[in-house]
Amino acid sequence: MTITADLREVLPGKDQVLDHPLDLYVYAKDAGVTSGEVAAVALPETTQQVAAVVRIAARHRVPIVARGAGTGLSGGAVPTQPGLIVALTRLNRIWDVDEEARTAWVGPGVINLDLSQHTAPLGLHYAPDPSSQSACTIGGNIGTNAGGPHCLAEGTTVAHVLALELVTADGDVVMLGGAAPDPLGLDLRGVVVGSEGTMGLVTKILVKLTPNAPDVRTLLLAFDSIEAAAETVSRVIAAGVVPAAMELMDRPMIEAVENFKACGFPRAAAAILIAEVAGHAAAVSAEAEVVASAGEAAGATEVRIAATELERDLIWLGRKSAFGAVAYAAPDYYLHDTVVPRTRLVEVMSAIYEIGGRYGLTMLNVFHAGDGNLHPLVAFDAKEPGMLEKVRAAADEMVKLSIEAGGALSGEHGVGLEKKHLMADVYSPIDLDAQARLRDAFDPGGILNPGKILPEGSRCYDFGLVASLEPESAA
Amino acid sequence: MTAVTIEDWQVTPPPAAPPEAIAVAPPDLESIARVLEWASNEGRPVLPWGGGTHLGPPAGDAPEVVLLTSGLTDIVDWQPDDLTLVVQAGALISDVEAMLADRNQSAVLPEQAPGSTIGGAIAAGASGYRRLRYGPTRERILETVVATGDGRVVKAGARVVKNVTGYDIPRLLCGSLGSLGVIGQVCLKLWPVAESAASLAVDVATFDELYRPLALLETETGATAYLSGTADEVAGQAKAVGAQALPGLRWPAPLSHDSRIELRIPPPLVAAAVEHVRRSEAEAFRAQHGVGIVEAGFASWSTERLDELRAWAERHGGAAVVLATPVAGVDRWGTAPGSVDLQRRVKAAFDPRGVMVPGRLPGGI
Repeated sequence: MTITADLREVLPGKDQVLDHPLDLYVYAKDAGVTSGEVAAVALPETTQQVAAVVRIAARHRVPIVARGAGTGLSGGAVPTQPGLIVALTRLNRIWDVDEEARTAWVGPGVINLDLSQHTAPLGLHYAPDPSSQSACTIGGNIGTNAGGPHCLAEGTTVAHVLALELVTADGDVVMLGGAAPDPLGLDLRGVVVGSEGTMGLVTKILVKLTPNAPDVRTLLLAFDSIEAAAETVSRVIAAGVVPAAMELMDRPMIEAVENFKACGFPRAAAAILIAEVAGHAAAVSAEAEVVASAGEAAGATEVRIAATELERDLIWLGRKSAFGAVAYAAPDYYLHDTVVPRTRLVEVMSAIYEIGGRYGLTMLNVFHAGDGNLHPLVAFDAKEPGMLEKVRAAADEMVKLSIEAGGALSGEHGVGLEKKHLMADVYSPIDLDAQARLRDAFDPGGILNPGKILPEGSRCYDFGLVASLEPESAA
Repeated sequence: MTAVTIEDWQVTPPPAAPPEAIAVAPPDLESIARVLEWASNEGRPVLPWGGGTHLGPPAGDAPEVVLLTSGLTDIVDWQPDDLTLVVQAGALISDVEAMLADRNQSAVLPEQAPGSTIGGAIAAGASGYRRLRYGPTRERILETVVATGDGRVVKAGARVVKNVTGYDIPRLLCGSLGSLGVIGQVCLKLWPVAESAASLAVDVATFDELYRPLALLETETGATAYLSGTADEVAGQAKAVGAQALPGLRWPAPLSHDSRIELRIPPPLVAAAVEHVRRSEAEAFRAQHGVGIVEAGFASWSTERLDELRAWAERHGGAAVVLATPVAGVDRWGTAPGSVDLQRRVKAAFDPRGVMVPGRLPGGI
């Protein structure tokens, strides 16, 4: 039997198996710039169905690519060879919300923002808040260990995942972690979070919920140079304050946002810093004062404190509209994601502008400055001959620059396809081999999202599966 | 590799170490890796040794080599303005925290750990009481350099506060109990220490009214809430619950009973767990409300009592872990987790010959 026929036996529901060329085309890419080839798409609705799908794919030797909403930017959900996409969007239930324990069970297909809206009446929220939170899923967030502006104080996805139900490469179902702290034995949760579907398929998650802060203050500081804004970030951290968020935006991005949705950002500023402090009322005023003074010491031209909920919402609307604004302004964009030590922000930003200028690229910046997590964004038109190559070459330079400054390849988007060729710039062959061995422990047959994260040659794991869409007897 | 001259690094074993084993204290991680390569080839069980404070009762194969990290004590790179610290594993927690305190920073490691090393606490997965506010230790390990069971020196993570560059080996090492290799160096995320801190003697019922306390502890003598923040914030919170704020963090004395059990249960069950340990005649206990950990000390050992506590904890998705017992052959962990096969394969990825503390993890791994 063909794989689709086998899949239809275990997934009998409406549109649970897709193989129409148009569907395959839609599922062949994520929100980034690469696309792959899809053999079939499976949309299971239960853990048992996911396990059955994995066993079928393994039998047919067709690689499996787990997928949430497809908002990833690094190609994590893009197959490297004709693969079976397992979209987990239909496992989208929220259950057992426990107000006292501040936890909830969720399916991987639950949309990030829906969870926070669901728990809002209890005064609780799910802290990781990627910019795509109104579209991305919790399962996808686990794939990339997603962050967001408010991860500065609260930590990224991994800090908010207490338990994971995992369908392994063999189609077995195991639970990692639980409601009790410090699970016995090796803590495998952290290996699965951020593994881009290479360690198994996550089918249930026990998430930690965070109480809403009693008081919040949001500040908008304007500067006449990006360096002054970056310096403010360093000054705040050095002053011993870790705000809830510190986001930096440069002039091209301010203009794009204002043209898209007028949020009252100062168009004349070279850069703005959005800072938020949250907590007990007494602490919030003191910390807001620290941020304001740091800004003034670095030469802020304006310090605005949101006086009303509406003003605060408007500032965040502007921040979270940034990528939409760019999509409105240019046909394509390439969004970087590197991390540098916060003390090196100023020099690294200057060098990134230099690279963008040298390649003649239109560059806009909005990023999680408090974490040192840079997101230079290049707006371009892929139809222009040679443009994508130029964008990629500049991207490599920017990433290498970050590594030289003591940073990392990716802070929250993942390595996926886009950066795996740079892994050897960060890690030695022995380091990469250790990563490959860890992966083999989870997936000895190399069936789960092959060709991702680790570069070819890390070890002999990515020799390539041959997709068999033909009846087994013919193979 | 046969040229290792183990004798060159041989030292007098620490008093608490297994007497049959030879003790070695190599001067650097590369040398530790050579010892591990030799032990792996020879099939000799190895017990990594930091301060010897978080070992728990002996389990599994008797070690033939005790590998001390006392040669690795350097502060490699402290970036106060970036809130990161790179330190070698054998450095004492007390020394490191004292150094960080000079700049009002903390690695949020266990508060009372005389003689404990950074690497030992991480390998043991030990967190301080302040985990209620700052999360467990595993949230703060940004980069590790480890010598694997077969003698490879592997770096993972990076010296930045946010990172998804490959698999999170640093987090895996936290709580691995030496089963994967010897941690040689780590980069830790630091937190600023707030200007004011206080300890409030309160009723347990008051715990819910406090916003983001550092810790909420209950002991055999009463309940204490630990707060930190600006002076106004701490005073304001104390006033709101009508409690007197004693300045500073007055942690209870650590338990040193020969018979000690730790219950790990979902946080809402801490009050019930306290009832259970009281009924099982604990002499003293340290209950971490909001976290889900209750450590209890007993005047004498009773396996029957362990079984009762364990049955209750496991029924609620938790565990009862033996921290200390004078009796040999006690099951330290109880029912092994369902992921035990996966755990065995993960261990083999780091320690293919199975020489690192064989049998120490749950499930006899």
